[in-house]
Amino acid sequence: MIPQEAQYRDWMLAALAGDAAAYRMLLQGLTRHLRGYYAKRLGPAAAEDAVQETLIAIHAKRATYDPARPFTAWVYGIARYKLVDEFRRHKRAAAVPLDEAGELFGADETEAASAKRDVEKLLARLPAAKRDLVRAVKLDGRSIAEEAARTGMSETSVKVTVHRALKSLGDELGGSNADR
Amino acid sequence: MQTDELIAHLSGGLEPVDGREVMRILATGLALGLLGSALLMALTIGVRPDILDAMGGEAFWLKFLYTLAIAMLGLKLVERVGRPGTDATVPALLIAIPVLVLMAMMAMQMMPADGATRHTLLMGHSADVCSVLIAALALPLFGGLFWSLRRLAPTRLTQAGAAAGLLAGSAAATIYAFHCTESTATFIAIWYTAGIALTTGMGAALGRWMLRW
Repeated sequence: MIPQEAQYRDWMLAALAGDAAAYRMLLQGLTRHLRGYYAKRLGPAAAEDAVQETLIAIHAKRATYDPARPFTAWVYGIARYKLVDEFRRHKRAAAVPLDEAGELFGADETEAASAKRDVEKLLARLPAAKRDLVRAVKLDGRSIAEEAARTGMSETSVKVTVHRALKSLGDELGGSNADR
Repeated sequence: MQTDELIAHLSGGLEPVDGREVMRILATGLALGLLGSALLMALTIGVRPDILDAMGGEAFWLKFLYTLAIAMLGLKLVERVGRPGTDATVPALLIAIPVLVLMAMMAMQMMPADGATRHTLLMGHSADVCSVLIAALALPLFGGLFWSLRRLAPTRLTQAGAAAGLLAGSAAATIYAFHCTESTATFIAIWYTAGIALTTGMGAALGRWMLRW
């Protein structure tokens, strides 16, 4: 099974019930895979348009997701359809590879991305509020001020929270290495 | 628009989705198609005048149930092909069951028969029009089902068109059973099946042009 299946499916089910926050996280997560997938097949210039087209299709056709079936396969079906569509539009040879859903969800598996996944795994150990702060500031490149405004915390406490969260992760990492 | 903005826009106005949405879309297209097809038959070739008597005999029910069984599997198929990432192999293979049952009944009729009887069994009195009429009656159903599928998300258009054609043809054949006065399993096994095969092929050919979304 695709490793992201459980998380994405949970978000999708919440989104189908109307949970906008879960939906946003889902679309952000999928965007990373879609970028890698299309960049490799269409080139970086055309990729972003294809990503957006696919996000719109996911949105417009979300009722067709059957919760009894894997979510990643559903997304892959749409991504592949949009790829075929793109090839057809540009009259490129319709040599769409017969790849599988794993191709899409392995799409960001460059060194950097796999490091990023490890980071995500680590982040999952933090409480939700801290995790969001660390992700926003350290991964998504938001400023301390932005995050302070969003959360209603002072800039100092944002800084301190992020710093402590990273330190606690560092300690834990050291600990788990020592276990080996 | 930046992708981040798009995501914010899409998630901002998020509405919950009813889990029965797919079935509702399919039921609407199918119902409109059935209505159109029934009207088309009533206004052109008409229901056979002795339909009430015919419904007391088994030939009518053989036609009715054979085509209905295929139509039910066809509906399952269309539902599957309308959802990305869903495999339709099982319902597709199950269609072989009613077909094989009828083929077996045909074999039992044909084997003991002599040459002239075989010819009568095979050709009935409407072999030249049966399949074509079924395909013609399937046209409103094609309209309804393609309308439905375009609102879903078929990702393999030839396959999706074939599934819609199979359902359109088998449902049209169920309606045609109210007109048709043939009475043998052999005739049904050949010409009804040929009619459904014809619409399945039509659907497969039309799918990649008409099911894009």
